[in-house]
Amino acid sequence: MSELRQIFDTVNIGLVVLDRQLNVTQWNRWMYQHSGIASEQIVGSSIFDHFPELDSPGFLKNCRSVLAFGNFSFFSQKLHRFLFPFKPVGSFGSKFEHMQQSCTMGPLRGENQTITSIFIVVQDVTELATYERKMAEMVVRDALTGSYNRRHLEERLNAECERHRRHARRLSLVMLDIDFFKAVNDTHGHQCGDQVLKSVAAGIGSAIRKSDCLARYGGEEFCCLLPETGVENARALAEQLRRQVEAMSTNCQGREVKVTISLGVSELAGTDTPETLLKRADEALYEAKRTGRNKVIVFEAETVKPD
Amino acid sequence: MTDDLTISEEEADILQEIMNIAFGKAAADLAEIINIMVNLSVPKIAMLQAADLHGYLMGEMDGSQGISVIEQGFWGEFRGSAFLIFQSGAGKELISMLGSDMESAFEAEAADVLERETLMEVGNILIGACVGKVTELLQDVVTYSPPRVIVENKADDVLADGLFDPTYMAIVLKTLFCFNERNVNGLLFLVASQESIAWLKRALCVFMEQYE
Repeated sequence: MSELRQIFDTVNIGLVVLDRQLNVTQWNRWMYQHSGIASEQIVGSSIFDHFPELDSPGFLKNCRSVLAFGNFSFFSQKLHRFLFPFKPVGSFGSKFEHMQQSCTMGPLRGENQTITSIFIVVQDVTELATYERKMAEMVVRDALTGSYNRRHLEERLNAECERHRRHARRLSLVMLDIDFFKAVNDTHGHQCGDQVLKSVAAGIGSAIRKSDCLARYGGEEFCCLLPETGVENARALAEQLRRQVEAMSTNCQGREVKVTISLGVSELAGTDTPETLLKRADEALYEAKRTGRNKVIVFEAETVKPD
Repeated sequence: MTDDLTISEEEADILQEIMNIAFGKAAADLAEIINIMVNLSVPKIAMLQAADLHGYLMGEMDGSQGISVIEQGFWGEFRGSAFLIFQSGAGKELISMLGSDMESAFEAEAADVLERETLMEVGNILIGACVGKVTELLQDVVTYSPPRVIVENKADDVLADGLFDPTYMAIVLKTLFCFNERNVNGLLFLVASQESIAWLKRALCVFMEQYE
């Protein structure tokens, strides 16, 4: 076996050659390992016999462009995910249904530089894609509670304000804060305080819709963005959250710790910026705190007067 | 042949003519083979030292605006890098062009990622078609490295430093792309080594001989 042939079969990437009719002429061992289709089975037959999903306008367009221009085509993982539907190998199976691939396609030339066939290189980038996905999650999440972080909230808030104004839809915001949280820390210790933060966040997270956005805004302060929601429904939700937290208790090293929350609600108005919307919810929250805690206050010009 | 690596006026004219033919053919092929209707206008080409590119490009575009630069290396007798510059926002315009291919792409992916990837695909197609045709006319065959997007930024910052080897020659083609009736402005230029320029001069000479 020639040296190049040995390399062809032992490199840790997939190598395929197709003739101008898109019949397979070369199929390396890597492709066999991941597809279960041996070279003897596939060489000589159309690539579409074994991979009918490749028979798509996009793939054909790329083949044509390689054959006609001698162009290279790059199938990035980000846009295409994969060309060949292989199972992921290793421990990434739970994250991706298919092996994530970065593929390159280009021309092979014979005599007189005429293009006789197409080569395809297949690289397994599942591991990288897994890290990327993890990193992307970490950038938007609060490490302790798993809810979104403030940075993400601010981005979402800007985007939602713009979207809701453009389409004249209603958008509400709930700011909430755990009552006497300092006392929890002082009495039961910070680990217990962390437990309480986690269970409050989990409780609220399970009560809101998927399209809503719960973020940890500060220490024990959370903010919940409610797209397509008017102030009446936001108030009802806030009340439901209040009762839910009031009813639950967190187990900390054998002790049951109970907390309550105060909530402030505001709705996007014509002249609002993201900042003024936040500020009004915050003022309503302050009013809820000032008038006894464990309650919901909706910002209305008459009920909340700036000091 | 001399060691003089400046391009004479006559040679520049020939190159201009080759670019015109190449871009016309590239557009026709793109339409016929991959169904992308693209108008590639090729106004005057300019030859300059890569070191002077920054000043030239600053004169061509608004430095305070964001740009996207796509770079792709090509390898043949003629070798170097092709750069395609779009004003930022072009990616969004182009996403719809690749339309059906992209629907399957995930909704979860951030819009800016999608935009970058789209720029790379479009860059690859355009650079491949243009460079491919030019080199074909000059009887060369090139292969390509994967395109990369040099991050979106203010033109001032991106072009200021280190992007090009200052001893290389640059062939600038200011081109207006018009895709499927969407106007997208782009600037294409090739940066090539001195060896390549020497080869280019010989190839231009050979090209002219067929008409003599």
